[in-house]
Amino acid sequence: MRIGVLALGAANTRSIVAGLERAGAEPLLLDRPARLHDVTALVIPGVAHAGFVIDAIDRGGWRSELRSAIASGLPTLGICAGFHVLFASSDEAPQALGLEIFTGTVRRLTSAKVPHMGWNRVHALAPTFESGWAYFAHSFAPPPNLWDTAAVTEAPPPFTAVSAKRNVWGVQFHPERSGCYGARFLKRFLQTARETVYAR
Amino acid sequence: MLAKRIVACLDVKDGRVVKGIRFGHLRDAGDPAECARRYCDAGIDEIVVLDVSATLEGRAASHETVATIAREIDVPLTAGGGVRTEDDAIALLEAGADKVAVNSAAVHDPSILSRLAARYGAQCVVLSVDVRRTNAGYDVATRSGTHATGCDALEWVRQATDLGAGEILLTSIDRDGTRAGYDLEAVKRFGRALRVPLIASGGARDAASFGDALLAGADAALGASVFHDGDVRVAEVKRDCIARGLEVRL
Repeated sequence: MRIGVLALGAANTRSIVAGLERAGAEPLLLDRPARLHDVTALVIPGVAHAGFVIDAIDRGGWRSELRSAIASGLPTLGICAGFHVLFASSDEAPQALGLEIFTGTVRRLTSAKVPHMGWNRVHALAPTFESGWAYFAHSFAPPPNLWDTAAVTEAPPPFTAVSAKRNVWGVQFHPERSGCYGARFLKRFLQTARETVYAR
Repeated sequence: MLAKRIVACLDVKDGRVVKGIRFGHLRDAGDPAECARRYCDAGIDEIVVLDVSATLEGRAASHETVATIAREIDVPLTAGGGVRTEDDAIALLEAGADKVAVNSAAVHDPSILSRLAARYGAQCVVLSVDVRRTNAGYDVATRSGTHATGCDALEWVRQATDLGAGEILLTSIDRDGTRAGYDLEAVKRFGRALRVPLIASGGARDAASFGDALLAGADAALGASVFHDGDVRVAEVKRDCIARGLEVRL
């Protein structure tokens, strides 16, 4: 398995690379769409403004390549803003069209203090995932839904902490900075990606 | 529910952790990566690394130090010191930081906050504010506390959060390194006024002082010398918080 990390010019790049390395992977940084052919798993990192990421996707000619790779079954993990751009739209950048993998709109949090910053509990709703403490840093999140929400967290109110739809996982927290819990999450993604037969 | 955070701060100068009193009298307190690893193992919730001489020496914070720490730890890392331009911030994030702290540069040109927020989101932009108590309230000092601006700190943080700062790291210069306890009056005042998270810094004395700051309205309490000198252990702080009904991560 070869795992790629999308490098679009805004992300905690080294942080996620270090996290994946601790989980046993040797990630490649992908700086142009053609390089998607070199990998069999993909991480879209967070720590970015959703509008900036979508803009970078379009400017760099990534959109159709990303959508077709994901549609062909490329195991993909979107983190925080990298998760948000998998939706059709986000309150953070209402004019920008996302990749439309997940349905719905990412909403601005309505908690007393925003950003929702720090450690909070993830409650798993699907057997693939586990519950535990994870690190969050975000002002926007997808509301829970009945079809692909796999874990929730109470800001309050509750929001989607993990979504899973076929080959695509999205997480609101930062597994690369969530201690042992985050490391186990990344290992599970890597394991699932290894078990996936992916050929474009 | 969101847990309150216990944060360890590594003030770094020439690649070593240093700590002083009221921003002066610096003494050596160890290797940054080693300290970070130790605090991480002990259950710290977040690490802040500040290059304390970068602004005064007119350069950006050391990327190598940030990169080494980032590899060692699996909790979030905030980096700052000498961040003057968007490129300085980008370099720190590229080196492995998860959030960037801006201080003097934002006072000089507040638009750096909105530019960083437009690229990385407000949650990535920490405004670090060093304050001195006055008769009227709190004044902002810049350049590692060497320059008094005469600006009201509360006004400044309000403006900064409107521009895109997603978190406030409030350091009381009067209390820094003194072990006199946090400036709880400042914590109360800023905590009430802010709609973004507040990290209280300056004056941590013992395990109970962290809980005092959190109960006064801080979302996170930061310690430096109390941890470096081994006077307070993270587990002790968290036990005290739990005993006082505060939610913390175990």
